[in-house]
Amino acid sequence: MNLPFKELLEFFTFSEPNVQVVFWGVLVLSSVSALVGCFTYLRKRSLIGDVIAHSVLPGIALAFLLSREKDPFQLLIGAGITGWLSVYLVDFITHHSKIKNDTAIALILSVFFGAGVLLLTHIQHTGLASQSGLDSFIFGKAAAMRPQEVKLFLIIGIIVTIATIVFLRGFYVMAFDEDFAIAIGFPVPWLRVILSIITVLIVASGVQAVGVVLMSALLITPAAAARFWTNKLKFLIWIAVCFGAVSGVLGAAISYSYNGMPTGPWIVIVLSLLAFFSALFAPQKGIYARWSHNRFNSRKILCENILKRFFHLEQHHPEKRDYSLVEILSKLNLKEAELKSGLRLLVRNDKLTRTGMNWTLEEVGRTEAREIVRKHRLWELYLSKYLNIKEDHVHDDAEGIEHVITPEILKELEVLLKHPETDPHNREIPY
Amino acid sequence: MAIIEEVKNPVLEVHSLTVVYNKQPAIWNVDFTLPKGQIIGIMGPNGSGKSTLLKAIMGVVDANIGYVKVFDQEIEEVRRKVSYVPQRQSVDWDFPAQVKDVVAMGRFATRGILSRLNAEDKEIVQESLKKVGMEAFANRQIAQLSGGQQQRVFIARALAQRAELYLMDEPFAGVDASTEESIIELLNEMRNHGKTLIVVHHDLYTASDYFDWVVLLNTRLVASGPVAKVFTPEILAEAYGSRLTTLSKVADLLAERRFPMRHK
Ligand SMILES: Nc1ncnc2c1ncn2[C@@H]1O[C@H](COP(=O)(O)OP(=O)(O)OP(=O)(O)O)[C@@H](O)[C@H]1O
Ligand SMILES: [Mg+2]
Repeated sequence: MNLPFKELLEFFTFSEPNVQVVFWGVLVLSSVSALVGCFTYLRKRSLIGDVIAHSVLPGIALAFLLSREKDPFQLLIGAGITGWLSVYLVDFITHHSKIKNDTAIALILSVFFGAGVLLLTHIQHTGLASQSGLDSFIFGKAAAMRPQEVKLFLIIGIIVTIATIVFLRGFYVMAFDEDFAIAIGFPVPWLRVILSIITVLIVASGVQAVGVVLMSALLITPAAAARFWTNKLKFLIWIAVCFGAVSGVLGAAISYSYNGMPTGPWIVIVLSLLAFFSALFAPQKGIYARWSHNRFNSRKILCENILKRFFHLEQHHPEKRDYSLVEILSKLNLKEAELKSGLRLLVRNDKLTRTGMNWTLEEVGRTEAREIVRKHRLWELYLSKYLNIKEDHVHDDAEGIEHVITPEILKELEVLLKHPETDPHNREIPY
Repeated sequence: MAIIEEVKNPVLEVHSLTVVYNKQPAIWNVDFTLPKGQIIGIMGPNGSGKSTLLKAIMGVVDANIGYVKVFDQEIEEVRRKVSYVPQRQSVDWDFPAQVKDVVAMGRFATRGILSRLNAEDKEIVQESLKKVGMEAFANRQIAQLSGGQQQRVFIARALAQRAELYLMDEPFAGVDASTEESIIELLNEMRNHGKTLIVVHHDLYTASDYFDWVVLLNTRLVASGPVAKVFTPEILAEAYGSRLTTLSKVADLLAERRFPMRHK
């Protein structure tokens, strides 16, 4: 399949008047969904988006059957009513019966969605389907958006955004600790209702772009992906909104370019890629960050062990200054390849120099080597003195701990132990 | 002989309080008054309704029967003077917030849901963190705290409220001995400044050192009075012994047959 460059260019240059309409419509819907989704996500109500999205379908179909036209405002009212009803029913069932929340969600979702599909089929049989295009609500068709719809979405987007900003603090405390929010007098029942209303509003609008099946992804995935990047609410919101906006616009562009392609799946594919990318590459929490952190640690241990080996070599063979691979390796528990990569790193950092097949310790390296030995021996002393561990048991522990001790802790140890001369094995502590 | 001492001008009055979950009463017709300016322990076995009692006092759960008066008023009127520390396990600590953000939530009690925190609030947050020895952790992610540190953050949040009455649900659960000691020291200091502290606690051995007054609960009220009077072998056996068989049979029947506690 050839990439439709011409159409993509058309989309991003707004050369067709209709494109501008679609662009703004999708941008508003996807970014505001992401904003609201942050709180749905933080309150661990991820599935409620799914319920609402599926439950707006019968509302849309009923509104169409009653009005016999595709007026966005009327469809939205229909969608809002059944969407709201579904949230209410899930809560009601959970509170007033033995049925658990997840079961109630599955129940309501399938009943409403089933009813919606039945109604749509009925509409198709009445012959109104040809101009109605209601089936695009299932997978979404942003390219079919019209100016009057986009106007409505803009207004809803603004209302929802303002409401979210005004009640931000309330939603935040409620998401973390609902009991405390009640205890300090926040109007929690009202906050819940407001959050439900804005969720229903944005979902009922968003299904026009993404479709009912995938709408909840637009609500939850941006927040879930953003969570990898930050531990602060403010950033979480901004990143989620950006993710939502980017995936919405890209999804719409692709759908526009391949004529007839539904929007929803493309938006969700872009979103999922962003989430996947976040899981891999986010600092600290990403898989790559953890991996490189581990690699950093193991390299540090490797280099420090080699430097320590040089310290011992210089003590035992003070007559010479350069040592061969075999000599270095002799007391190290390392594979030759590992040793070589460690030596290369140390040469690169000017801690060693290489002449032919021999290596010499540089002054920087020597200082560091002495420091590591100092850490090792001070730690041994500390263990035997403060933890009453026998001398012959302290070495293995110190082998590990010497790499973790920071300069501050080293200083603390020196002061605590009063700059001792020798370690528990009576070896000199180098300063 | 059960000891239920009433006090004059109580800081808290609990009147015939009954809370029912799914038709099963968690606390049943509990009725007591508590004195001002004391450290009061709420004790009883697991599932005896201690947390439920605190939640009902704060209006977090609704009373099915009975009422609560705090400072002789409805709780809604005096929320600013009352601070609540939920059980630490009741929240998910893997939440995007720093320690100081959580403590700042205590200031929202005064500032309300809309207005911004000012410099004074930030100072109070710092000061509260200092009182629990957590000032070095102000910028730490709460997901990275140990259990004892989480507990201290919750207490700091309560301190930041500058309340008169504090209700704490198991502030000593999962903290080490030295933290427990510093918390009890803090509570003593607050009491000496005229605050009233109501503390859910589990350890019978330390209770008589910590508390001036004890409320013993076992779904119903077993005793309420000065610690020396309440801590007798008979009363403790009554509180911690088996549930009253007839009472629990009736409670089970209520749940099983879905009878209402009272008809209107
Ligand atoms: N949300 C709830 N829904 C249904 N039952 C509940 C709920 N919360 C508590 N219960 C029940 O009410 C009773 C009292 O619970 P509560 O948490 O008040 O006890 P507790 O004295 O605080 O126990 P613990 O010492 O374990 O904290 C228990 O039997 C419990 O199972
Ligand atoms: Mg409890």
